[in-house]
Amino acid sequence: MENKSPLSPHIQIYRWHISSLVSISHRITGIINIVVITLICLWASLLLLGESKYEEINLLLNSLVGKFIILSITWSFSFQLLSEIRHLIMDLGYGFELKTTKITGLIVIIGSIILTVVFYLIGKNFI
Amino acid sequence: MAQINLPENSQVKKGKYFKDKTGSKNLRKVNIYRWDPSTEENPRIDTYEVDMNNCPSKVLDILNKIKNEIDPTVTYRRSCAHGVCGSCAMNMGGKNGLACTTPHEEIDGDIDIYPLPHLKVKKDLIGDLDGLYKQYQSIEPWLKSKSDSTTKEIIQSKEDRAKLDGAYECIMCACCSTSCPSYWWNGDKYLGPAVLLQAYRWIVDSRDEERQARLKKVADELKLYRCHTILNCTSACPKGLNPAKAIAEIKKMLATANI
Repeated sequence: MENKSPLSPHIQIYRWHISSLVSISHRITGIINIVVITLICLWASLLLLGESKYEEINLLLNSLVGKFIILSITWSFSFQLLSEIRHLIMDLGYGFELKTTKITGLIVIIGSIILTVVFYLIGKNFI
Repeated sequence: MAQINLPENSQVKKGKYFKDKTGSKNLRKVNIYRWDPSTEENPRIDTYEVDMNNCPSKVLDILNKIKNEIDPTVTYRRSCAHGVCGSCAMNMGGKNGLACTTPHEEIDGDIDIYPLPHLKVKKDLIGDLDGLYKQYQSIEPWLKSKSDSTTKEIIQSKEDRAKLDGAYECIMCACCSTSCPSYWWNGDKYLGPAVLLQAYRWIVDSRDEERQARLKKVADELKLYRCHTILNCTSACPKGLNPAKAIAEIKKMLATANI
């Protein structure tokens, strides 16, 4: 009898709100960032194999797909940065009121898009 | 590891459709999760057309109306109908709350009613909360005083009393704990917002003499630190309390106190 009981629906039916979205995105971008940092290290290591290998990756990154990847990575880093600051403030015990969490969550989401554009422009024009 | 999908026997099927018989023009569709323990069948969603012209404002009123006028087999817990007892906690329109204090006007479209999420269902909208009550017991929610004089009044200043505000009002309806994804995936070990709010309530009580022991007891990777400030708990609490903040305060105490 006990084992027959079904499990009531959970993530399938629960409505998302800004805080839960920011929280799950924080985790996902965190995992992406670790993978990306590893790849960047590998890319740097390719220097040891000489110019031609380095050029190949460079070509890939300058293609349309490559640019999309770079933009996505930039967003992922921007999001993680802002969201982590939000988490640090929360760890200090501030910003737990529902309205505040909504506002800080929105700042993280909108801010990450703005930061992405800023980082991309800086990278393109100055580096 | 978290299991995102529902097990085979918990997959929700389409159920019966109860057409309106009153001829009313002001109808709303209400989808209710049904499961009958006396059958081998999977849970299903029954749909009821409810005449809203003769229905008071809360979701519980809809349920009562369905039970009284359309289908007496619908099963749910309810008692006070004033948001005090916490019996009618359920998931309405994708959010946990008390059916007796949630206005159906706030729900757009069809009204979906499910039991509290990620619980073993006993029947229809009734979930099994035994695990949560055991966890509540584990934090020993009573005053612990080493003093011998049990007959003397323990004085508490107004400031110290004020620390309990926002914690003592909890009615243990379980809306917060069952809204928490961390509790869904680790409900056997993570205490969850409801129990941690109560743990906090006893930790900050100036009359309690086992503050250190209480803190030590919850200072656990799984019991406490599974809270990742998703804040489903705070947004679900029908009493407007803030379990997420209480958990953060416990973490802060542990980070700053030398125990």
